[in-house]
Amino acid sequence: MLKQIEGSYGVAEVVAMCRPNVISAYPITPQTHIVEDLAMLVGQGKLDAEFVNVESEFAAASVVLGASAAGARAYSATTSQGLLLMCEVIYCIAGMRLPIVLTIANRAISAPLSIWNDQQDSMALRDAGWIQLHAEDNQEAADLHIQAFKIAEETHLPVMVCMDGFILTHAYEPVDIPEPKEVDVFLPSFTPKHIVDPRAPKGIGLYADPRFYLETRYILHRALEKSEDTIKKVSSEFSKAFGRDSGGFIKTYKLKDADLAIVSMGSVVGTIKDLIDQLEEEGKKVGLLQICSYRPFPRQAIYEALKDKMNIVVLEKSVSLGRGGILASDVRWSFPRAEKKDRNISSFIAGLGGRNIPMEDLRYMVEKVEKEPVELEFLGLKKELISDKDL
Amino acid sequence: MNISAEELNTVEKKDLFTSGHRACGGCGQALAARLVADASGENTIACVATGCLEVFSSPYPDPSWRIPFLHSLFENAAAVASGVEAAYKALNKGPVNIIAQGGDGSTADIGFQCISGMFERGHNVLYVCYDNEAYMNTGVQRSSFTPYGARTTTTPMGNKTRKKNMPLLAADHGIPYVATATVDDFRDLQRKVKTALSIEGPKYIHILAPCPLGWGHHGELTVKICRLAKDTGLYPVFEMTDGKVSNVQKIPVKVPVEEYLKLQGRFKHLFKKGVPAPEVAEIQKIANENIERFNL
Amino acid sequence: MEKLPLGLVYDLTKVVPYKTGSWRTLMPVNIMQTPPCTHSCPAGNDIRGFLRALAEKQSYEDAWHILSRTNPLPSTCGRVCPHPCEAGCNRRDFDSPLAINSSERAVGDYGLENNLEHKKLVSGRKEKIAVVGSGPAGLSCAFHLAKRGFKVKIYEANSEPGGMMRYGIPPYRLPNYILKQEIENILRLGIDLECNVKVGVNIPLDQLSHEYDAIFLGPGAQKGVSINVPGKDAEGVYTGVDFLKQVNSGKWMETGKEVVVIGGGNTAMDCARVAKRLGANVSVVYRRTRVEMPAITDEIDEAMEERIMFRYHTNPVKLVVDEGKVVGILSVQMELKEPDASGRARPVPISGSEAFIPADTVIMATGQAVDYDGLDIQKVNNQWMYTNENLMTSMDGIFAGGDAVAGLETVSLAIGQGTRAASAIEDYIEGNRESTLAQPPVVFSKDLNTYYYEKQRRFEKEAMSIHSRLKNFREIYPSLDSQEIIEESKRCFSCGLCFHCGNCHMYCPDSAVKISQSTGGFEFDYDFCKGCGLCSKECPCHYIQMTMEK
Repeated sequence: MLKQIEGSYGVAEVVAMCRPNVISAYPITPQTHIVEDLAMLVGQGKLDAEFVNVESEFAAASVVLGASAAGARAYSATTSQGLLLMCEVIYCIAGMRLPIVLTIANRAISAPLSIWNDQQDSMALRDAGWIQLHAEDNQEAADLHIQAFKIAEETHLPVMVCMDGFILTHAYEPVDIPEPKEVDVFLPSFTPKHIVDPRAPKGIGLYADPRFYLETRYILHRALEKSEDTIKKVSSEFSKAFGRDSGGFIKTYKLKDADLAIVSMGSVVGTIKDLIDQLEEEGKKVGLLQICSYRPFPRQAIYEALKDKMNIVVLEKSVSLGRGGILASDVRWSFPRAEKKDRNISSFIAGLGGRNIPMEDLRYMVEKVEKEPVELEFLGLKKELISDKDL
Repeated sequence: MNISAEELNTVEKKDLFTSGHRACGGCGQALAARLVADASGENTIACVATGCLEVFSSPYPDPSWRIPFLHSLFENAAAVASGVEAAYKALNKGPVNIIAQGGDGSTADIGFQCISGMFERGHNVLYVCYDNEAYMNTGVQRSSFTPYGARTTTTPMGNKTRKKNMPLLAADHGIPYVATATVDDFRDLQRKVKTALSIEGPKYIHILAPCPLGWGHHGELTVKICRLAKDTGLYPVFEMTDGKVSNVQKIPVKVPVEEYLKLQGRFKHLFKKGVPAPEVAEIQKIANENIERFNL
Repeated sequence: MEKLPLGLVYDLTKVVPYKTGSWRTLMPVNIMQTPPCTHSCPAGNDIRGFLRALAEKQSYEDAWHILSRTNPLPSTCGRVCPHPCEAGCNRRDFDSPLAINSSERAVGDYGLENNLEHKKLVSGRKEKIAVVGSGPAGLSCAFHLAKRGFKVKIYEANSEPGGMMRYGIPPYRLPNYILKQEIENILRLGIDLECNVKVGVNIPLDQLSHEYDAIFLGPGAQKGVSINVPGKDAEGVYTGVDFLKQVNSGKWMETGKEVVVIGGGNTAMDCARVAKRLGANVSVVYRRTRVEMPAITDEIDEAMEERIMFRYHTNPVKLVVDEGKVVGILSVQMELKEPDASGRARPVPISGSEAFIPADTVIMATGQAVDYDGLDIQKVNNQWMYTNENLMTSMDGIFAGGDAVAGLETVSLAIGQGTRAASAIEDYIEGNRESTLAQPPVVFSKDLNTYYYEKQRRFEKEAMSIHSRLKNFREIYPSLDSQEIIEESKRCFSCGLCFHCGNCHMYCPDSAVKISQSTGGFEFDYDFCKGCGLCSKECPCHYIQMTMEK
């Protein structure tokens, strides 16, 4: 049913339909509405689940770890500081192959403190062994959660669904909320692969000495690579079941004949599409490659999509301080050495700490890279605030 | 859960934590872990924190647990156990004994947040703390359980603070059952575990587990040292039911703290040339305070 | 190597444990050791064994069989033995020693009441052994040889068997019917007994040497020795041994009102207490003090309870005789100077301290000697019989033991010597060199871990009131409560032998002490034992010890 609904509430409603058994979350702006709504649903008896009010995000992650290891479908949500606090547990969950779904309401990281959106937080955990999916809008945010549970339980890999904080979480958009029956058909009940159970005692969380650790990492890496098939499969199954495209590996927009390709992910993609449409009317051929699955990284797909694009610009809401654009670096790596020579791959950092990305800035970016490649630029940087002396 | 007096007082030896672990010879924690697991029985899930216990008992591919165990991190045993308990409730499974286990750090320092949260939320989980009075697994560094005067690698001149009173802190969370125990009196320890498991809600048992390597004594003295810890008054043994102290184990003949300290290498620096340092008097004061406070 | 499971999650039912036993430098071993009670017992009784049978199985029958392996006279010893075992008992350092003597008596009495029988171990050996004397040494030697299947005949000079047990120890200490029953039980093993035959006089020793393959001499030291003072041959003067023999033979001795006993040994005490029961006022004259008296402490205590007066530092100078009958003793006071050859302080008379002690009867319990009448045999110091370390005399094939060899000793020592002689005789007959049993080391109280015990009161036997005692010759400790004896036996520490307390089993941090399927006891799993030593430290009886790893 189509509802004009705040992003968070949409997610909450959809997550409730996925029948999680244990929900544990610690409130942190801008994820609060998700957990509040779920608490209300549990409290009203509309959702039959254990809602554990933990004392920190670290505890929240630990509780879902324990719950999943005991055979429950477990869910949590966090962002920024909370995600970093549960960093240890995030790695642990992946290593234990527990199919937990986490919503990340992307937000900037302190210091300085900022409650507004960027994607530094989920970037910080890109190496942990989780599948990372990025939502373009509130509809996709809701849909990705349904897919996430299915992907997680089939691949035995945990999934992070990333949606831009405030921009998506607190925005009201029309969202088609599915019927609970439809979700039940799409997402069967959870049959865990391994659990702690006195009837069949197993040890979960053994330590691996140097004889074995390397292999466990290799196995996790290969599992992530292989999960591409499941991600694509589940996305197409979702299409068939719910009648709309959602998720998947990558998406393209007017890329085929484009002279310039813009690569990005998250909600900014919406603005970029608008720009592309405007530029098209002005006779410029610009296209978009939208990354939906950031992990596993769609290297091959990017290469296939962009191999004849000689001018590429990567726009991202995160930066590897002291190095440069993270996504840009990933995209540059997607091309074999030989094919990089004449290709321009520019890197733009934008929107950090919730900075608005207006159309004008995007136009500026396009015009600039049409003239020359840009190694690294912070889009919309206010030079008047910077003193080169005080670094 | 009702439990008969006969069941409560039966000594259990099922080896649900069995041979093959890599603990040092004479390890108090290994002994305690087995006693706890056996007292709890096969219908148990152990959530174990990183530490000596986890490291010596759960290597791949030969862990020494025979009940299911779940190990996550150093500081989250209590939170993980909360999750397991929530899952069992949500899935309508059970009943099952969920025992979260950890050492000094996992309980009172880095893990304090999780255990406090678990207590406050009222999960039906028993938390067992193996107190060996330092961070033994990482090489004998000081913890908040390190007693006054003890030498550790991070307090080479002797620890300057008093032991954190975790049992009382636990009780102040309003949990229904708290107990302290030692590995020398295995009957008492197992009885306390069984009592705890028969009560709904969060429970806390604090077990003194001497560490031959860290405390500096022969493995064979583990049991004797526990007795001296009790008989000097430095380690009071008692139960607390709904916040009230009960079943205090009285000391038959009080022993001066020197007899306890002299057996351990970590207090050797207090007896240079056989002359006790002023810290010894301070330690005796601590013992006397315990004796008075708990009426030992 | 098997493939890594998903998430490294491991099925705990499939674990092959890692063998930590390879870490050891020390290893625990079970070593059975000798408890100090057995070590102190001159008869070498398995005291721990019979007490454990009472404590663990509450079985008097099992206890009797264990005890009578080494001691065929438990009811007797349980009444007359000075119990050096109790002095050795490790529990004395904890609270009080076990009441082993009373336990032995209770077990022996049970055997008599229930007609328990000794068993032969071997039968049908053709060799014949002669045993001279049916005192404890002779009976014990005959007992062991008969159990081993030899044909044994005992020659006894008196009209009834028992030696000093029969004729020396009065019935209030050892009732005759008890002794008789025990001896009959021994003889039932097929031993021949001929009384009223004094070897050396009625039968020459040579004759026995021809007829028998070996001989054991246990004549005892039953000849009374008096001190050489004027008047010692008067009427009313007896040696201690003679006095007792007559009383024990059933003869009523008219003692008159005043009886003086000279001497400080067990014979003196027996004489004094017998005389008391015959109605006289009795005093004991001894030239040193109580400390130096060789009599058993219990005997002296009981004599004092029975209101017998002790005159210490007193020595007779002469016996005053009137018309051939003794009327008193002229005595002198002594003072004690530096020790003499016996190691005791040397008494020296104080001149001018003479006094007259009236006496109707004087009993000189001042020494005993072996009656060598007809026995030409090598002696030591012209007193006791010479034997080598295998208890063989100077004559080949002739062995000896008991008071005749060891000097005035105890029933249990005589039993022990009889046992050793029987082994030596068997070796001699078989032509073996002496076979000596290696004795395991003794456990002392410092080796024990007594933390697990609580102090408990010792069993105390109840005596008849002194008033009742003196009216007759009945046993002064009439009966022992058999349940109380069982409770007492539970106090036994079982020094040096496992009694299944289970400490090792429970305390091992590696679960490496397992219940043995075959023995039901505990055994070590050396695959996993790390040699920490907790089992050894917490073993209350020192049965587990740590040794170097091989």
